[in-house]
Amino acid sequence: MNENELIESARKGDRKALSDIVKKYEQTIYNFAFKICRDKDKAEHTMQETFLSMIKSLDQFSGKSKLSTWLYTIVSNHCLMMARSAKGKYYTSFDDDEAVINEKEISDWKITPEHLLENNELKELLDKAIQKLPPDYRIVFMLRDVEGLSTEETGKITELSVPAVKSRLHRARAFLRNELNKSLSYV
Amino acid sequence: MNHICDHLGEALDSPKCIAIKNHLNECGSCQKYFSSVENTVKFYKLYDVKLPSEAHNRLMDFLGLKEE
Repeated sequence: MNENELIESARKGDRKALSDIVKKYEQTIYNFAFKICRDKDKAEHTMQETFLSMIKSLDQFSGKSKLSTWLYTIVSNHCLMMARSAKGKYYTSFDDDEAVINEKEISDWKITPEHLLENNELKELLDKAIQKLPPDYRIVFMLRDVEGLSTEETGKITELSVPAVKSRLHRARAFLRNELNKSLSYV
Repeated sequence: MNHICDHLGEALDSPKCIAIKNHLNECGSCQKYFSSVENTVKFYKLYDVKLPSEAHNRLMDFLGLKEE
């Protein structure tokens, strides 16, 4: 069965079809939720809530967008809601451009992406850097750059205009690059 | 280059993008800067977490889809 057939069968109460849809997307959703939350328990909770929302509103899914886009929207909204309810959390402010653009320190990096898998310190560094980024910027960076969605799809999911997506993406990339540069640069 | 031109709202063969491309070819600092931005994206792309089988079981249980 293709995806549309699976959705149609699931709507009619076919539990096997519903189970197949969940199995098809659970890894993607868990991974994406982790990339936004940076916490395995929160990622699992988000994944569960996402699929529960999907099941509850499967009848409303129009099929105009891809199911994956719809699921990304649910995850993003859930993560934003959790972030807004987390009191006392500090995120970097982007009011001051100096916090974003730091092109004075430019050099080669000591570590390339190929070293990531065996380097837990580097993973901690990546976690810490992205946790400083406000969640709405984090979601744009993850959708556009990491998941590879188009600017338009990212805008649709985050309810941002195309110029707003581009602006947030630029700031998020520059911020993360500068954060990693502090530890990875030869300077 | 695609991202830079896209960000500027310019076509790849527009005079602005060609000028940027020419500058990038000659400027060592800009090459290092863009390489570090590219590596930043690659780091986050490669940093995946695998769904544990226990979490899969808990999900199917939570949704009432556990196979008998």
